[in-house]
Amino acid sequence: MACHAESFTPQEMLIVAGSRQLEDEKVVFAGTGLPMVSITLAQLTHAPGIIPVFEAGAVGSSLIRGLPLSVGDSRTTCKADYLQGLNAAFELTQRGFIDYGFIGGAEIDPYGNLNSTMIGDFPVGYRKPGVRLPGSGGAGDMACSCTQTLIIMAHEPRRFRRRLSYYTSMGYFDGSPDARKKAGLQGKGPYRVITTKALMGFDEETKYMKILATMPGETVESVQEATGFELMVDPDAYEYEPPLKEEIRLIHEAIDTQGYFVKREMKQ
Amino acid sequence: MYWTGLSPDEARESLANKDKSKKDKRMTLSKAVRSFVSDGANIGIGGFVNSRQPLALVHEIIRQGRKDLTLSFQSAGLAPELLAGAMALFPDRLHIRRLEFAYFAHEYAGISPMFRYLAENGMVAVEDWSNYNMSARFKAGAMGLPFLPVRSPLGSDIMKSNRSRTMECPFTGRTIGLIPASHPNVALIHVQEADMYGNCRIKGQTFTCPEIAMASQHTVITCEKLVEHEVVTAAPARTSIPFFAVDAVVEVPFGAFPAMCHDCYYFGQGHIAMLRQAAEEFRKGNKAGLESYYDKFILSAKDFDDYIGRIPYKELNLARQMESRSLELQKFVESC
Repeated sequence: MACHAESFTPQEMLIVAGSRQLEDEKVVFAGTGLPMVSITLAQLTHAPGIIPVFEAGAVGSSLIRGLPLSVGDSRTTCKADYLQGLNAAFELTQRGFIDYGFIGGAEIDPYGNLNSTMIGDFPVGYRKPGVRLPGSGGAGDMACSCTQTLIIMAHEPRRFRRRLSYYTSMGYFDGSPDARKKAGLQGKGPYRVITTKALMGFDEETKYMKILATMPGETVESVQEATGFELMVDPDAYEYEPPLKEEIRLIHEAIDTQGYFVKREMKQ
Repeated sequence: MYWTGLSPDEARESLANKDKSKKDKRMTLSKAVRSFVSDGANIGIGGFVNSRQPLALVHEIIRQGRKDLTLSFQSAGLAPELLAGAMALFPDRLHIRRLEFAYFAHEYAGISPMFRYLAENGMVAVEDWSNYNMSARFKAGAMGLPFLPVRSPLGSDIMKSNRSRTMECPFTGRTIGLIPASHPNVALIHVQEADMYGNCRIKGQTFTCPEIAMASQHTVITCEKLVEHEVVTAAPARTSIPFFAVDAVVEVPFGAFPAMCHDCYYFGQGHIAMLRQAAEEFRKGNKAGLESYYDKFILSAKDFDDYIGRIPYKELNLARQMESRSLELQKFVESC
């Protein structure tokens, strides 16, 4: 009998949904932050056979020393099967060993393209951007070369934009058929977008973002309102299952015990 | 096409003329920086984000002052952040002309305020790449090749921001990316162990350190611990960087602090937060905190040992204890 949490934050829901999207026994290339929390949660619940890959060089680790604060952290190397460096990790990606790339982004468009480079006018404003973001890191590579990509991010209108200032990590380009293949990419592209308000996928034909489920307490309307472009809605859209008590407990007591990535909120 | 460090032909020529003998390369931090880091240099920065950042060398560069630098790295935080902060505070002492990189921030600890400050004010030329691009650029340099073909990030604006090319692959007919080799003038790399000749033993992930060392004209190594040469020859397959790629070896315990160093110490989280806070204040217009950080920890310090001497012992020890291997012990340490 599933025992659901009585109260939870949107961020906790996001992490749980990220975890539930991960299939057991798949190879998952982990981006920094929330993907690391979701992967660890999945390892501790339904998917003990997940094989995480960290871009700084660790493969197959169990995060038994606690949550890494960086994908290059020594904690990513615990119980690793294979330990090299960045070239080796990205060569695995390019060769096709990675089932899922799990990444975040500052901005996303309807075709799952992500911006993590700059806010401003590219290319004219590249030398003096309005806001300079940290840059691609490995996300641009993961989005191109992992077999599929999972995207996890907060759902806010300013993050969901029809046009991006800069295209860092490529999804389905403009949605035109075979756009990825024509560009020379091998991975299939984004599979799911997991947010604080919804679980989304992409229309098979148009590659346009589509609501598959709304998070508890949200509606199609409230999700649409928080999105800077119009979303498609799957005819079978449903309400997503809330977190289990056990999932919330694991996040705070076994994974992010110090609250580096997951905020603790006072329960009402 | 232009080359921001050495061109492939210059890199080859420089190695042909280099003394590759197995000699004692131990020296002081100050002499290593004076000898191998010059104005106008393209500097390859080892480590990854805030792991094994070559901070002892960065402090010394700031103390000595350098101009017209190009910084090349895949992902880094504290090393370029300290150089960027020095440039913002003391433009006559330190000047960065150009960044070739994939990611400049601190992951869990947030964005790099000094990078934002320089970039958003147009004070530095930036060239964005992906992590694999930068790693593969160093690898091309290490392989003695002028470029490598890559599959990512094709079709992105990253490819429009840099010197990469795309072409039709002559064998498959599909689109492929080409990225130019990077041959920095000098690589700055912090490792756990090295011998007096420069043979390095990296523990944990190698990141892109071996490739950067092999691609660069000169390599300066700082190490947590100098080891006997026999330690190296007893297990030569453990050598990550061979002696003839190395020009200087400096023993600097805690040489990456407050960055982490695998098996030696974890992040100095309190120190990183303090520095980041001061940098964020600077970005918002309040210079005093960052000025006093540089004065206290870098400029008035005689050398890196002196800086480490100014870090409270309990901070250093906490970082050392946190790097221990078991979660149980870590929980115990955190609860104290």
